[in-house]
Amino acid sequence: MADVVLHPDRAATSKTVRKRGGLHNMLKRKSTVAFLMALPLILLIAILVIYPAFYALHLATLNKSMQRFIGLSNFEFLFKRETFWLVVKQSCIFAITAVIFKAVLGFIIAHFVHNIPAKGQRKWRGMLLVPWVIPPAMSTLAWLWLFDPSYSAFNYTLSFFGIGPIPWTGDEMWARFSVILVNIWVGAPFFMIMYLAALKSVPDQLYEAAAIDGANWWQRIWYVTLPMMRNIIAITTLFSLIVTFANFDIVRILTAGGPLDHTHIFATWAFRIGIEGSDIPLGASVSLFMVPILAVAAIFILRDISKRGNEA
Amino acid sequence: MSRRKLSRRQFVAATALTSAALVTAPYVRGAHAAGKLSIGFWDHWVPGANKASTDIVNAWAEKEKVEVQIDYIPSQGNKNLLTIAAEAQAKSGHDILAMPTWWPHAQAELLEPMNDVMDGLIKQNGEPNGTVKYLGQSKGKWLAVPASVGSQIKGPCSRIDLMKQHAGIDVQALYPAGAPPKADSWNLETFLKAAEACHKAGVPFGIGLGETSDNVDSAGAFFQAFGAALVDEKGNLTVKTDAVRQALEFYKKLIAFLPPDAGAWDDSSNNKWLVSGRGAMIMNPPSAWAVAKRDAPQVAEQCWTHGFPSGPKGRFAPYLAYFWGTWSFSKNKEAAKSVLRTLSQPDAIEKMCVASGGYDLPCYEKLTTLKVWQEEAPPKGTLYHYPNPHNHQTLSIAAAPAPPKIAQQIYTQATLTKMCLRYSKGEAMEKTLAWAEGECEGFMRS
Amino acid sequence: MTTATIDKAAPTRTVKYGSMSRDRAWALRWSYFFLVIFAIFFLTPPIYMFITSLKSSAEISAATNPWWVFHPTLENYTGLLTSNQFLRFFWNSAIVSIFVVTITMLIAVPAAFALSRMRFWGSATLATGVFLTYLIPETLLFIPLFKMFAVVGDWTGVQLINRWYVLLILYPTLTVPFCTWIMIGYFASIPKELDEAAIIDGASWFQTLTRIFIPVALPGLIAATIFAFTVSWAQFLYPLVFTTSTDQLVMPVGIITTLIKGDVFNWGQIMTGALLGAAPPLIIYAFLMDYYIAGLTAGATKG
Repeated sequence: MADVVLHPDRAATSKTVRKRGGLHNMLKRKSTVAFLMALPLILLIAILVIYPAFYALHLATLNKSMQRFIGLSNFEFLFKRETFWLVVKQSCIFAITAVIFKAVLGFIIAHFVHNIPAKGQRKWRGMLLVPWVIPPAMSTLAWLWLFDPSYSAFNYTLSFFGIGPIPWTGDEMWARFSVILVNIWVGAPFFMIMYLAALKSVPDQLYEAAAIDGANWWQRIWYVTLPMMRNIIAITTLFSLIVTFANFDIVRILTAGGPLDHTHIFATWAFRIGIEGSDIPLGASVSLFMVPILAVAAIFILRDISKRGNEA
Repeated sequence: MSRRKLSRRQFVAATALTSAALVTAPYVRGAHAAGKLSIGFWDHWVPGANKASTDIVNAWAEKEKVEVQIDYIPSQGNKNLLTIAAEAQAKSGHDILAMPTWWPHAQAELLEPMNDVMDGLIKQNGEPNGTVKYLGQSKGKWLAVPASVGSQIKGPCSRIDLMKQHAGIDVQALYPAGAPPKADSWNLETFLKAAEACHKAGVPFGIGLGETSDNVDSAGAFFQAFGAALVDEKGNLTVKTDAVRQALEFYKKLIAFLPPDAGAWDDSSNNKWLVSGRGAMIMNPPSAWAVAKRDAPQVAEQCWTHGFPSGPKGRFAPYLAYFWGTWSFSKNKEAAKSVLRTLSQPDAIEKMCVASGGYDLPCYEKLTTLKVWQEEAPPKGTLYHYPNPHNHQTLSIAAAPAPPKIAQQIYTQATLTKMCLRYSKGEAMEKTLAWAEGECEGFMRS
Repeated sequence: MTTATIDKAAPTRTVKYGSMSRDRAWALRWSYFFLVIFAIFFLTPPIYMFITSLKSSAEISAATNPWWVFHPTLENYTGLLTSNQFLRFFWNSAIVSIFVVTITMLIAVPAAFALSRMRFWGSATLATGVFLTYLIPETLLFIPLFKMFAVVGDWTGVQLINRWYVLLILYPTLTVPFCTWIMIGYFASIPKELDEAAIIDGASWFQTLTRIFIPVALPGLIAATIFAFTVSWAQFLYPLVFTTSTDQLVMPVGIITTLIKGDVFNWGQIMTGALLGAAPPLIIYAFLMDYYIAGLTAGATKG
């Protein structure tokens, strides 16, 4: 990220210093051209991202039939609902647990892949990235079928060990487990591939120096690997947190929020209320609650990155 | 910029038009002068059932010189409900759209009144059943025309052998083929005992408690057997009544005998339960039996569709009604009405019923004894009691008699099954009732 | 950024202790052991899709060993590949993805060029802000956008809801920011002397972009293209909300809403559909894995 912010400035300043004569005109023309080239991007973001976000704020203040301004009544109504607080709690549990496990699992797998000889790495890396390549809606269908109440292949296998049948999507706790499991399955390879790229950029000398100093395996990870990968871990976690928090397809296909609303997250509940229950303003109010939580996470992580960047 | 945008839009529209023409080509019947009509029918799961309605519509189109396009919209994942919502928002869409249960009321302001069509049809086919009147009429106005396609009774479908063996109940004797039922002993107590016996024998009843219509419909019929309603017809809350408490107690006992993951069941789970041979009974129209006929014939031979057990306040069976509605913004209302009349003629209805293997159930009183239900086999007569030929049970829908717009929320949010699950998981009765009351208050928002 | 400055090619001293090689051998064995376990976990669902796709529905409902095919059949494949409806989904997906990739590139490449090389008021903010648009997820935007498009339809008569081309307007919001971001990174790594020389030689900005930047940043361009393609192929929420007629649907939504029917279960066919739906990204991935990974890790190596 720091790179992105820095470069245009650097490029521009170096140029202003170097260029002579007709500079003013040149710059004027250049900035106009540049602006025009970036205009489609600006329009796209302004019309289809920024405007709808504010429009959502407007919608949230209307009544169900969208004919009357009712101020904050939708929010008041939501705050009184048990289900709403359940959804808030679940969204946080879902996102935080899934991201932690994805990060840890991705880190471990990246280490193992990094450990094996270089010529085998490509093959393993290719195999382990498959879950991330399949469209989540399609792979969740496979999970749905693996979890099926009557035909579960997992329960079939577990029955040989005298376990089960496990109500994968039927019991509240198991359903949460299943939803998070599928999310980890989809997301862990992304972490793996990012960490692997980062691991490769850690110079071997650092490990050797640590080994000479008598650092054990754990200390090498803690004092060498992790600090070197700090930026990547932060960026990947931020990105994954956003995506996981705003997840829709996995929960929608696997449980549709059930049983007893115990797997609903913001997106699926907003869909249930706003589109399926034809209460657009209330649905918009629900989805707006994603913003403050995401913004806080983003500020923390971005601040951390830029702080690190300045130190370096 | 604006000029460029405009031309891009024109380009997009042009590509869309050509592609739309390509897409619809297989469905379009001769382009004629009398206008166009687009129809969104419910996508019937029975292979070949869609064809019957396509044929009827095409024959009509031929005669009337109308260009027709038919879409078949599935109900899985609430696809049809999303379509209705999208078209209502966009104020454009199909001229005729199949709408289940509550949706004519939900879109009442945007639907063309159908009184002129219905007056003739009622004279000809007899009175529609009470559920259809409750769902299809508002202040004397028919919001839509009842559709036979997709309408169904979700009564019990039992395994003859398992019920005999484990529960000592001969369902064929209770509901003999070709004769009125002798089912006075078939009440909630015997039902509960049978559920317990089958649970012990490892073949529990497959009654779901999820949020989809099969589950909600079953709960609705049981609640009505106790006279339990969450909201009465005037819109008053009646959650904290003894009838509701009794119904919850009953369900708590029943849930102990159901599969452990019943809370996550959707509309296909009970079918799979029956077809896989794991259960002695499910609550479903004969689709599960028909699938078993194809994939597991040894199960199909033992299936018997019959009536609901009776409770203190009567014997209720869930009737899921479909309607055909026309938007008030439709551009070809007369053609729409004409084709709806054609589709509601007795011979058309019978043709579609036969094509669906007896699944479709017309709501008109003169049409509940078609031949198809007497003849479907194996075993012979398995569907005889499916259409309620002897008016042995009262047809109803969950959440009735509340005002439809509130009832719709109770139904789609599955408040009934959620209450049952909460209570059966050990929540205090009054806490469950308070929760349900809060939910219902929310549903009364305008 | 610091990591890049350390010279990796510096000669490495080989340090060897007596126990080191034995430790290494064990570490290697454990690594393979765990990798196999993870590979099983990661590959079970796709393999199970494949197994189920070869079964007839009679075999599935007989509830025999789910991990084995006793009577393999291709009827699910022939059934789907001869169904007009399914081919229509495939076609729609292909058209939408190709258009979206084109649109994305037409927007992202010039914008990235402008943001990385030319300066205008607010350009620095915009370069950072581009990535932050992902903070407003599509799950927040679908409700207001739905209402917006309904209003547009009301005012202008241009029907957007339930038309496949509405996806061409929506998908770029998901693809353009990331692609712009990748391309900014790639363009920034091109030495400034190169384009300055071109400008001095009298090349216009446009020529600099097409003659110098695009050829040099081709790997980044391919990575961005793959990214845009996979995102638009896999999107689920927007088509679910905005398209409803069967002839307007794209793959993921088509499979989920039309193959799963309430009362019948043709899981053989559903799994076949899912597998076929996953095929295009998987095939691209098989052939262009390195570009794919380069695109994914663009953030890791550049940020």
